[in-house]
Amino acid sequence: MSKFMFYLFFLLMTTSLFSYESENKIQALIVGKIAKFITWEDESSDTFVITMLHNSFGDTFDKVYKDKQIKGRNVEIRYITDIKDIKKTDVLYISNVTSTELDEILLKLKNTNILTISDLRGFAQKRGVVQVYFASQKPKLKINLISAKEQNLQIKSSLLQIADVIKG
Amino acid sequence: MLNYKKPLSIFVAIFLSSELFAEASLDDDLQDLLDMRSEIKADVGSRSAAKNFLESRSPLDVITHTQIEDTGLTSLTDVLRYFVAGFNAPETSVADGSDHVRAFTLRGMSPDQVLVLVNGKRLHTSALLHVNGTIGRGSSNVDLDTIALVSIDKIEILRDGAAAQYGSDAISGVINIILKGFGHQNEISSHIGLRNKGDGRGFEADGFVSIPLEYDGFLNLSLAAKDEEQTQRAGEDKRLTPASVKTHAGRPDAKNLNFVLNAESFSVDDVTIYSNALFNYRESEASAFFRPADADVSIASLYPNGFLPIIEAEILDYSFVLGARGKYKEIEWDLSNTYGYNEISYKLRDSMNYGYGSSSPTSFNVGELSFVQNTTNLDLKYMLDKFELAFGGEYRYENYVVKKGDASSYTNGISQGFAGYRPENEVDTSRSNYALYIDGVYSPIDKLSLEAATRYEDYSDFGETLNVKLSLGYKALEDLLLRTSISTGFRAPSLAQSNYSHTSTFGGKMEGTFSPEQDISKALGAKELKAEKSKHLTIGGVYQPTSATYFMIDYFLVYVDDRIMLSNEIGGATASLEQQTILSNYGVDKARFFTNAVDTITQGIDAKLTHRFEFEDNSKLHSSLWYNYSKNKVDGFNDSKMSRSNSLEQIDRIENGQPKHSVRFLNKYDIQKMSITLNLSAYGSYSQVIDNQKYKFKESWTADLDVAYAFTKKFKIALGGHNIFDTYPDKFSQPINNFYGQDAIKPYSRYSPFGYSGAYYYARATFKF
Repeated sequence: MSKFMFYLFFLLMTTSLFSYESENKIQALIVGKIAKFITWEDESSDTFVITMLHNSFGDTFDKVYKDKQIKGRNVEIRYITDIKDIKKTDVLYISNVTSTELDEILLKLKNTNILTISDLRGFAQKRGVVQVYFASQKPKLKINLISAKEQNLQIKSSLLQIADVIKG
Repeated sequence: MLNYKKPLSIFVAIFLSSELFAEASLDDDLQDLLDMRSEIKADVGSRSAAKNFLESRSPLDVITHTQIEDTGLTSLTDVLRYFVAGFNAPETSVADGSDHVRAFTLRGMSPDQVLVLVNGKRLHTSALLHVNGTIGRGSSNVDLDTIALVSIDKIEILRDGAAAQYGSDAISGVINIILKGFGHQNEISSHIGLRNKGDGRGFEADGFVSIPLEYDGFLNLSLAAKDEEQTQRAGEDKRLTPASVKTHAGRPDAKNLNFVLNAESFSVDDVTIYSNALFNYRESEASAFFRPADADVSIASLYPNGFLPIIEAEILDYSFVLGARGKYKEIEWDLSNTYGYNEISYKLRDSMNYGYGSSSPTSFNVGELSFVQNTTNLDLKYMLDKFELAFGGEYRYENYVVKKGDASSYTNGISQGFAGYRPENEVDTSRSNYALYIDGVYSPIDKLSLEAATRYEDYSDFGETLNVKLSLGYKALEDLLLRTSISTGFRAPSLAQSNYSHTSTFGGKMEGTFSPEQDISKALGAKELKAEKSKHLTIGGVYQPTSATYFMIDYFLVYVDDRIMLSNEIGGATASLEQQTILSNYGVDKARFFTNAVDTITQGIDAKLTHRFEFEDNSKLHSSLWYNYSKNKVDGFNDSKMSRSNSLEQIDRIENGQPKHSVRFLNKYDIQKMSITLNLSAYGSYSQVIDNQKYKFKESWTADLDVAYAFTKKFKIALGGHNIFDTYPDKFSQPINNFYGQDAIKPYSRYSPFGYSGAYYYARATFKF
């Protein structure tokens, strides 16, 4: 019996698996992935900047993007707790804000060519560009096309095909 | 000795054909990420935000709705039995109300020592009090079959004492049922099946529709209609000439209609209004024992060939939650009210009251039980960097009613099969309680989290109680979590236990169940019921070397003082002279009542290994092996009239009536459009005492198989079976009497952990849109 258990455990620990990833890591990966489907007005910088407003992901983004590139550019993760502190960025990931604060933030960011992303409920309907949410343990995307146009972001149709699209 | 070479070689072959493990990375394309399953989060067990259930400080398991779909089951009780080692739900028959509301236990403890929540709110129990000789005798449990499976997103099972967090009943564990929320697909499905003996036909049609509201709000509606035909596994009735099968023994005839609403509406000022409602209407019928025509008092003019009384239970159950939550400055708040109602109306047909002779009615309304529970909660939460503080209060009101039956069901004798409730059994009683709690979690470093919770409750009937819980989680290694908790708990005596009585007259004398409040009970030594008190220790850990593998093991130890049980039946030859005098003074022949009878110790372990594989052909295998050992022991007697020798049946039911060992080995293999799910369940031995004689039943195992094929992403058909190898439990080892025994009317024990109806085969179709 003990030999059998030993072999079983050995095999379980060394052979193939498919994994259930943390929601945080999946969201972090999605940011980099959807960037490939989006064109910014100016992509000449060597650095692709992701700014985290009220970070709720711990060090997940740092770990995921350490020594990685998005669209051939090195990735820099910045953390801010006040929208006033935002500097030139490609992506703004928004967490932990109230509905009123979100309205103010999105108004302030209008026409800034920043891709706004969040997992806040109702984010896309409130004029955020990309909302990530989870249902049945699977990540899903919701994209507000009007907001994307207001931000002068071009989104490839292949991304729109796999997301729920809001046109208003 | 068992030969492991063959299974080992199979494992080797499977594993060597698979590819190396890879975690999600930026190399995956977006569609792969969107197809990936995320971690499973759970709310129960802590007031903190939902977290990965593998990081819980207390043992926790989660069953997801996709797992539920793969079982082919149509009952929540059966789903929990399918997945959870240590969850026991026998199928009884000829046990009056217990045939219609199934009792269930965790770790072999009492059914009323499990707290059930829906979306984190307490769910009311059934009005039924199990008073026959079934598992769970003396308790009222939540009727799990009042909830449509199609409405469920996931089921969280906390295997730890949690009365200091949630209040009464959370002794052997907490089951939190989370209803489907935002983003779930609409679906309709149908299920048909039957037993391999040709009976027990089952049909279910259900549907789920989600209506999106502004800002990701939703209005979800679920509807399920189910019709289950009885199974018949009774033996011949040797009282008849020639002997023939008359009594019904097996699963009952039952028709269920379930409706579930779950809704959330978001407003611009960050206040969320939420609501859910459960509705169940059930018509269920099962038989009493057959009454032969030559019985002493039978009336040949009404039933020349004898008669089989049929007990019809009409169950109405509903609950409604309305609440609002939001954030004020740094404090999250949640205010809600939950109203729950359960009613059981008993009717009897194909029966008679011998006292009325040939003019006896053959149908009777024998009475009605109902239970109301209204709970108001205010929960507040404040979070700082390393400290989370939750506090709040609860006010609960309960009402329990017993209504009498038709006069003809209890006068001049009784209605055969189920004696009607008498006027003196009628009760309409209420109580209230309020609770205050505080629960803090402190994480001084990432690796360590400490939780301390305390809860004060004041009940209008039995008084105050204060309970505490301390728990600790420590990540000794990146992939190893060690955890422990100690706590105290309690279970308030139910209103039914304190007030229920069901008596009848034989030869001018009364007998039956009396409430502890009645004079006869007090004269015989009954005291006002007090709360059961518990102490808990859990220690264990989770080893998670990769995000696709985990092994958890936990030891548990639970002391329960003053467990409430029915007393022995006092009367007849075993009664003392003093008791006989008391009984005679009250015109009572035999009496029993609820009492804080015994102290118990429960201990054991849960060990669970889960592993997910991906093979070169992109097929996937998810395997989970779960072992539970639960040992229950009566450790002391508080009722001086009860002892191990004079209460063998009651004591043995607690100690040996349920399997101590149980195993679930669940495997799901996905290849292209096909999913194959195989579940092996092993049940340890158990015993039943009849007429002071103990009968043992050997361990057994069953296999369940479901093969599903997705013709499109929206349409799937599945064929499957439960107990596919048609396993039956042991029969009694020898003849006992006409009713129970190897060749008697009931050849199988009512304690059988997987029933005795044999194999069931089904087909189901699901359309998602």
